[in-house]
Amino acid sequence: MGTQAGFWRWAALAVPLGVLVFFFALPNALLLSASFLKSEAAVLTDELTLENYREVFESRLFRGAILRTFVVGVGVGLLDVALAFPLAYFLVRTTSRWKGVLIALSLAPLLASVIVRTYGWYVILNRNGVINESLMGFGWIETLLRLMPSTGAIIVGLAHALLPYAVLTLMSALNAINPNLERAAMSLGASRLRTFVHVVLPLSMPGLIGGFLLCFSIAISAYATPAILGGPATQTIATQIYVNMMTLLEWALGSALAVVLIVSSMAVLLLTSRVGAKKAAP
Amino acid sequence: MTNSHASGPWRALRWTVAGIYVFVFAPILITASVSFNESNRSLFPPRGFSLRWWDRAFSPEWLEPLLFSLQLASLTAAICVTLGTPLAFALTRWRFRGRMAVAALTLGPLMMPALVTGVGLLQLFQIAGARGSIGFPALLAGHVVISLPFAVRCVGISLQGMPHNVELAAMSLGARPWRVQWEIVLPLIKTGVIAGAVFAFVHSFTDVNLSIFLAAPGQIPVTVKIMGFLEFGFAPTLAAVSVITLVVPLIVVGIVQWFFGLGDFIYGDAR
Repeated sequence: MGTQAGFWRWAALAVPLGVLVFFFALPNALLLSASFLKSEAAVLTDELTLENYREVFESRLFRGAILRTFVVGVGVGLLDVALAFPLAYFLVRTTSRWKGVLIALSLAPLLASVIVRTYGWYVILNRNGVINESLMGFGWIETLLRLMPSTGAIIVGLAHALLPYAVLTLMSALNAINPNLERAAMSLGASRLRTFVHVVLPLSMPGLIGGFLLCFSIAISAYATPAILGGPATQTIATQIYVNMMTLLEWALGSALAVVLIVSSMAVLLLTSRVGAKKAAP
Repeated sequence: MTNSHASGPWRALRWTVAGIYVFVFAPILITASVSFNESNRSLFPPRGFSLRWWDRAFSPEWLEPLLFSLQLASLTAAICVTLGTPLAFALTRWRFRGRMAVAALTLGPLMMPALVTGVGLLQLFQIAGARGSIGFPALLAGHVVISLPFAVRCVGISLQGMPHNVELAAMSLGARPWRVQWEIVLPLIKTGVIAGAVFAFVHSFTDVNLSIFLAAPGQIPVTVKIMGFLEFGFAPTLAAVSVITLVVPLIVVGIVQWFFGLGDFIYGDAR
C-alpha cells in the first residue's frame, strides 16, 4: 500500500478513534487517577494516596459489598449454566419445525430492559407478591415470608436477566460437537445417560466454563437488579459506587471501587478468552 | 435420530425445557397482567380490570422520557454504524501497525462494565467544566461508545462473508476506489450495517447502568425514570410503562427481521 492510501485510511479512522479515545479511554483514565487522589470533604485534592484502596479493603461495609458481589456473581453463573445447558442442548439437537421460533423465544428477553424484567420479579417476590399471596391462599404459611430484599432475590433476578447470554455461549459450543459422536457411543451400546456423561458433558466443558464466566462478569457490574431487589443490608460494589458517586459525592472512593470492579471483570474475561482459545485448538 | 427423540430421557428434557421457558416468560407476562389491575397496588392475579394505568402511562409524564429514549437510541444507532463501518473495515480487511490497539479500543467498551464508563464520563464532563452537557450530549456520547462494538461486529461479520475479489474485479474494470466502496461494497454489507444499527438501538434503548449517571432533569431515558420510581413505589402504571418499553425494541427487531433477517448476526455475536 502506498503512503497515500495509508493516509486516507487513517483519515477515515480519525473520527471513530477520536470518539473512543475522548469518551472511553480518557474517562477511564480519569477514573483510575481519581482513585489515587486524596479527597477532603468530598473534594478531590492533588495529593496522591493509597488511602482510598485501604478504606475499600478495610471498611466492613465495603468488604461486605465486595464479598456479596462475588457471591452474587458465582450464584448467577452457576444458576445460568444449570438452566442454559438443558435449554441449549435441546435447541441444538431438536428436529422440531418450531426450532427457529424456540431459539428466538429463548433470546427474546434480551430485548426487554433489565428494569422491565426486574420489575416482574418484584411483583413475584415482594411482601404482598405472587408467592406470598398464593402460599397464604393455600394456607401453607401463617406469616408472610420475607423474600426480598435479599441476596437470593438478587441472584434469581440477575440469573433471569442474563440467561440468554449463557444460552448463546452454550449453543455455539454445543453446535460444534459432531452429533455422530453421540450416535457412535450409543450404537456401541452406551445408554443415553452414559453417552451424555462421558461424551457430551466433557465436550461441552469449554462452553459451560465460558458461559459461567460471561454471566459472572456481567453480574458483578449490574446495578439495577441489586438496587431494586436488594436493600440497605444487601449492598454490592455497583450499588456502593452509585451511592458514593451520586449521593455522598465521594468520588475518590467511588473510583477506587470502580477500579476493583474493572480489575475483577477484566481478570474473568481474560480467563474466558483463554478458555475460548483452548476450545479453538483441536 | 427421530426414534431416539421419543425415548424417556428426551421427554424428560422436553419437560425441563418447558419449565425453563416458564421461568423466562413468567416475570414478563406477570408484569403485563399487573398493569390491568383495578387497585393501585401491583397485585397478581390482577383484581378487577381497568385501563386507567395505561391511560396514565400515555400521559406526558411518561411519554416524554419514552420519546427521549427513542431519539437517543435512534441517533446512537445512526452514529454507531457511521463510525463503526470504517472501524470494521480496518479490523477485518486492513493490515497495519497499531491494528491491535485499534481492536482493543473498539471492543474495550464491551469488556468494561458500562457502569464504570458512566462514572468516568460523569467525571470527565464535570472536570472539563461541561456540567451543562450532562443530559442528552453526555448520554449520547456514552451510548455511542457502549453500543459501537455491536455495530463494528455486525459490519465485520458481513465483510468476512463477502468475497474479497469483488472489489478487485470492480477495480480491474476501471471503477475508482470510492465508487467501489459506494456501489459494490456498501450494498453487499447492507444487512450487516442494518443489523448493527438494530443492535446498537436496542442496546441504547435498554441501557440503565450507564444512563443513571448521566441523566439530567428533563433529559431522562425511560429506563432511568422507571428506576427512580421503583425506589418510591410500585404503582401499576410502571407495569404499563414497562410493557411499552418492551414493545418498542420488539417492533424494531420484528420489522428488520421480516425484511432482512438477523439470525446470522446474533450467532456471530455469540462467537
